[in-house]
Amino acid sequence: MRGVLWIARAHIMTALREKGTLFWFIIFPVFLLVLLALMFGRIGNVGEMNFDLGLVNLDTASSTATVDFAAIVERAFEELGKRPALLKEPLFTLHRPSSGDDAEAFLKGEENMLRLGRRAAVVVIPKGFSEQVRAHAMPSSFSGSTATPASPAGETILVYYTKGSDASELASSIVEQVLARVNQEVLAQAGLFRSQETVPVETRFIGGKEIRYVDFLLPGVILMGFFTNGLFGVPGAILFSRDRRILKSYWVTPLSVGRYLAGFSLGHLALCLLQFILLALLGRFAFGARVSFAQPIPVLYLLLGALTFMAFGFLIAAVVRTANAGMALANLLNLPMMFLSGLFFQVGGLPSFLKVVVYANPVSYLAEGLRTSLGIGTGQFSETLTFAVPLAWIAVCVLIASRRLSWDVVR
Amino acid sequence: MRAFRQLFLAELRIFVRDKLTLFLAFLFPVMFILVFGFVMGGRGGAAWSANLGAVVAAGPDSKALNDVLSSTTSIRVSRFRDQASLEVVLAKRGVDLGLVWNGTTLLFLYDPSRVQENYAFEQVASGISTDFTLRRQGLAPLFSVEKVHVGKKAATNWFNVVVPGILAFTILSAGLFSVSGHLTAMKERKILDRLAVTPMPPTALLAAVVCVRLLSVYVGTLVTLFLSVAVFKLSFDINWPRYTIFVAASTVGMMGFGTLITLVVRRPSSAGNLSTILMLVMMFLSGVYFPIELLPSVLRAVSRVFPLTYMTEGMRYVTGVADMSALRFWVVTATFVAMAVVLFPLLARYVVSADRH
Repeated sequence: MRGVLWIARAHIMTALREKGTLFWFIIFPVFLLVLLALMFGRIGNVGEMNFDLGLVNLDTASSTATVDFAAIVERAFEELGKRPALLKEPLFTLHRPSSGDDAEAFLKGEENMLRLGRRAAVVVIPKGFSEQVRAHAMPSSFSGSTATPASPAGETILVYYTKGSDASELASSIVEQVLARVNQEVLAQAGLFRSQETVPVETRFIGGKEIRYVDFLLPGVILMGFFTNGLFGVPGAILFSRDRRILKSYWVTPLSVGRYLAGFSLGHLALCLLQFILLALLGRFAFGARVSFAQPIPVLYLLLGALTFMAFGFLIAAVVRTANAGMALANLLNLPMMFLSGLFFQVGGLPSFLKVVVYANPVSYLAEGLRTSLGIGTGQFSETLTFAVPLAWIAVCVLIASRRLSWDVVR
Repeated sequence: MRAFRQLFLAELRIFVRDKLTLFLAFLFPVMFILVFGFVMGGRGGAAWSANLGAVVAAGPDSKALNDVLSSTTSIRVSRFRDQASLEVVLAKRGVDLGLVWNGTTLLFLYDPSRVQENYAFEQVASGISTDFTLRRQGLAPLFSVEKVHVGKKAATNWFNVVVPGILAFTILSAGLFSVSGHLTAMKERKILDRLAVTPMPPTALLAAVVCVRLLSVYVGTLVTLFLSVAVFKLSFDINWPRYTIFVAASTVGMMGFGTLITLVVRRPSSAGNLSTILMLVMMFLSGVYFPIELLPSVLRAVSRVFPLTYMTEGMRYVTGVADMSALRFWVVTATFVAMAVVLFPLLARYVVSADRH
């Protein structure tokens, strides 16, 4: 037992002293967690997004009319162009013609800015807009009558955008919602819209609760850490030790391969535990993650994940001859296994030949099993399958490794 | 010139025999294209083409709601008999969001794990509820809104916009890792020591390595482009002379940037780790996949100092999916060339010549 513990300790110390291992083990997953949480953690929150929006009112002649609808539209955007709070960002940075500017020429310039990607969208209020709205929709509602506009208005506000650009599509979609609210507001002012009869709207997340991004991200990053650890750390440690004849020096002692393996595995699991603690603490205290891993099933998935990826590492060490070849193979497997697993984004729309990879990939089952057991979404695989497939991979890897992995034993 | 020719052929052979480098040069971008192309299915995964699952109870207002659903252009509607069956399909991502109308309340259902997309789906839901409220009261909007696409025709597909970004990322990855990493590894293996005692000028070696990698990057981008056109039926309007100039300029610029990393971190493995972190940050913050406008202001400012932001912009321009002013294009291109001109002599001095002592 002492020998086993000694090897475990040696493995931990070597890993912690080795800058390369430390990088993949600690720095990379921590960095990924921080980066993704900063990027997506507050997406959609008021004061966190900002779009450059051109706003051109060509209906300047209506400014003297009884009700200037164009000005009402402008005011709605002006409101969204103000900072909601100190250190928060306005939703729109408005670009409008200054007094004395030629609005038509300004519009041409804004269109060009949109083409060049400097504007997310351009809103154009056409000439005669107020007059048209008044004439078409409620000929006398603003002067006492109660005519109701039941047919769509003839007047149209144009929203220039760039199809295919995420930012532009989203900005134009937000602009549409703003204009829909303006429609409602104006109709309410005219006494036509009964706000007390607004349709009650409820929002519900399936599974019963809304998930914060960091709670979704954290289990994925922890599994990714275990994965890169097993894929690079295990074959790296074994093959470099073999290449440098360190293993050979072990075999002149009474240490057996079995005890070395037990010690190595124990050390590897201890490193995974250390990595888990670090990431879980960072997630909780730096980003406010509320997901609780202290439950039997998530702990089982984490343990299964660490064991599966360690077994994968043994498999890689078994099928190559040198450490460099092992690292090359690990690099080849790393990206497809990570991307085709649903670890960071969903893989529902894949064609059959790529779905085979997803279904054969143990990371898919572990990621889904862990998240489902933590109450983060619902899964497509049964719970039995999320345990059975990784276990089957462990069995296959261990079988191949036990037959093919050369320990360089010449006693 | 003879030394350069011999070294070029030798480097070409080394490159072709190195399976990992070949993978990174050709298969890596292809894999990105395949995964993103199929996973995202040619859309940004966002609300402008959302699949909505609807359960609409028959009643006095169902016609108004159905009219709203059929007139909302940003959604595709699938009908369900009850909420339970809708929730099952929503959980399996058969639809993006759900709508249930029971005659009194409009319920919107979301998948909580789609944390990055739900904001956009909420915009769609808001539009539907506003429109329905009006129609239910027998009102119509006072004015309509028409969206007009302004820009290149080739940009009308989300994936069309992403592919040039992936090409830019490939150039970045090849540039950062290739020359400096290769020369540092040669130095570590004492190959440069042996070459140093020959009459070979260090610049010939540097030129040979750069030319081989430049060739591989150019061919790699062509393979990726061909695949995206053949498999995903994308169309590009490529300005070939500018494409060639920009790929070459940005590649040598990134090779120079890689040199800077080598000078800071001498060990190839540490340089590789630093490059990995830099590439990851740049991939997320340079607008390749995610719009910069959705990032917090600090990260938006950071994105403006990353070369990948400008490489993505340039690649979108030369492939005809985005506009860019000619002046800006040439300034960006010249900046990349300047990076190479300034930084390559440092590489020659510190990595090659240093071993002559």
